[in-house]
Amino acid sequence: MQGIKNILKSLSEVDFIGGVGSALNIAEGYLSQYCITRRDGNNLIGTLKGNSDYTVLIDAHIDQIGMVVTSVNNGFLKVQAAGGIDSRMLAGMRVTIYGKKSVRGVFCSTPPHLSKSDSVLKIEDMYIDTGLGEKAEEIISVGDRVGFGAEFSQLAGDKVTSRSLDNRAGCAALIKCAENLSGKNLPCNVVFLLSDAEELGGIGAKTQCFSINPDVAIAVDVSFGNAPDIAPDKTGVLGGGAMIGISPLLSTTVTDDLKAVARKNKIKHQFEVMGGKTSTNVDKIVETKCGVPSGLLSIPLRNMHTPVEVIDVKDIDSVAQILTEFVLTREVK
Amino acid sequence: MEQLKLLCELNAPSGRENAVRDYIIQQIKDKAEVKVDALGNIIAFVKGKKRPDKKIMVDAHMDEVGFIVTYITPEGMLKFTTVGGINTSVMLARKVEFLNGVKGVISSKPVHMLTSLEKEKMPDEDALYIDIGAESKQEAEAMVSVGDCAVFSESFENSGNLIVSKAIDDRAGCWAILDIINSEPEYDFYASFSVNEEVGAGAKTVAYLVEPDFAIVVESTTAADIAGVLDDKKVCCVGEGAVLSFMDRGTLYDKDLFDKSLALAKEKGIKAQVKSFVAGGNNAAGIHQSRGGVRTVAVSVPCRYIHSASSVASVDDVKSVRNLTYQLINKLASGEMN
Repeated sequence: MQGIKNILKSLSEVDFIGGVGSALNIAEGYLSQYCITRRDGNNLIGTLKGNSDYTVLIDAHIDQIGMVVTSVNNGFLKVQAAGGIDSRMLAGMRVTIYGKKSVRGVFCSTPPHLSKSDSVLKIEDMYIDTGLGEKAEEIISVGDRVGFGAEFSQLAGDKVTSRSLDNRAGCAALIKCAENLSGKNLPCNVVFLLSDAEELGGIGAKTQCFSINPDVAIAVDVSFGNAPDIAPDKTGVLGGGAMIGISPLLSTTVTDDLKAVARKNKIKHQFEVMGGKTSTNVDKIVETKCGVPSGLLSIPLRNMHTPVEVIDVKDIDSVAQILTEFVLTREVK
Repeated sequence: MEQLKLLCELNAPSGRENAVRDYIIQQIKDKAEVKVDALGNIIAFVKGKKRPDKKIMVDAHMDEVGFIVTYITPEGMLKFTTVGGINTSVMLARKVEFLNGVKGVISSKPVHMLTSLEKEKMPDEDALYIDIGAESKQEAEAMVSVGDCAVFSESFENSGNLIVSKAIDDRAGCWAILDIINSEPEYDFYASFSVNEEVGAGAKTVAYLVEPDFAIVVESTTAADIAGVLDDKKVCCVGEGAVLSFMDRGTLYDKDLFDKSLALAKEKGIKAQVKSFVAGGNNAAGIHQSRGGVRTVAVSVPCRYIHSASSVASVDDVKSVRNLTYQLINKLASGEMN
């Protein structure tokens, strides 16, 4: 697991918010060791050639939730959320602001003598303190991106915490899969897509899937992990393996193939059943062109969209193994 | 500021001040007569160049706010209560570290799963737990026990004149006193590095033992000089110098001493300001009532987002607090300021 842990640490301690940040560079550094890579806009594409024209697309979004500066006033910033953010946790939270240079800030926390104990401010009513005074305006402009600033830490067993594990965990699974497949004789082409703008509705996956024109696609994302305050039927267990998505929207054949390779190779897995939309890139991928038969693999994650997301690294490995076997067992007519 | 960084990065919640105590004793043992009282307070007699006319005690507290484990669930999650006052808003989704190095995160239900009612209300502290990644009570108990304490796990950052860190309250005070001890002070004085301030029990025993004529409490206090706050509610401002208090929730300060301290700052050209809102409290509450009463003054570093993982203070203010404290020791010890 140490290999995946190292990849995940370096991927999660950099940002990628609305095209800003260096996560794409870090990911390319890894992916280019195993396949030919190229960029298209803010998307990274890695290709492994196989023995047929049949193409499997494997997608994970590389963007993350963040914020955008809407005003700068005497060192204090106002921001709006780009992606779903719980404003209850923001007071006293450290952030990185990507201005002309990157600077650090702290969300203002209202002292007890000025606030009602359980009142919650909306994000647009809060301020970020940069401590820069009037100098802030020379460095920071409206539209600049803001990200959470938390670092990677090891927890018990193979569990880790960091910001942006949604969805650097998925990116790490793709990189691990590329490593597993590299140098092998493949029955088909494999295109790894690290896509932009999932948190804004899956725009990267939608447009890239159009260009790549795959025969089949698997999206890899994170989903809700088990926690005491969430109903167990809505979550996957951390360490319980890859969550194989089941939904009317997904291809039954592809889903059955994913289940079959997991069972046959004794790869740890669990199921995530949804009644329709999956709220992942696959919602956009399935409706590309004439339709792309697709499957979904998810990694269970706690505290989603916070700077302290928690996952079990073993689940990333389970996803990478299922993806690997899925590709190797493609029967191309 | 290397020493202040080092002090802030030590993990020492109330009642578990060992890391700070050991460090301070190491730093001053050759320069002062050091003893530790029954509660863990450091009492150091610092030899100056001259014998004082009045006995002076200078206090800073070593402890910081934190979390204490009260119960471990069958699923391996840690229930906790706070040690000292911490708002729920600054602990949600924060990383914490136990004294043995085990890390955990304070839970936060995903925003996607909150009802609209839940989004508008802070959760009860009772509903929160620390997740150390353990999958069972047994696995958790191998790492952490009930009664173990954790503190915020965040790095010390320095940008220009500003610092961002946990525990600036009151490592800034500890630094100021250490720096005075290290700079060959004029007069003999007693330094108190106290425990349990954050739980309201600091320095009482020290004042009893030392029996000073005057006490100077070196502290960190709430600054609310942030966007959207009216001037009369700002309490004090970061960058405007050492804060002198006339009243807080624990003490109505000696007016004469307060006035003379303010005048002394002006005379010596040390930037100082007045705490302009009655809030908070500190060791002065216990010290000024010790034995037959002790004339007490509080000198504080203004600090935004105090009791969070990201307190903000100014290095210049910390130096002003150090300098004013130094001048106060000299004036009070010499008997010139009575």
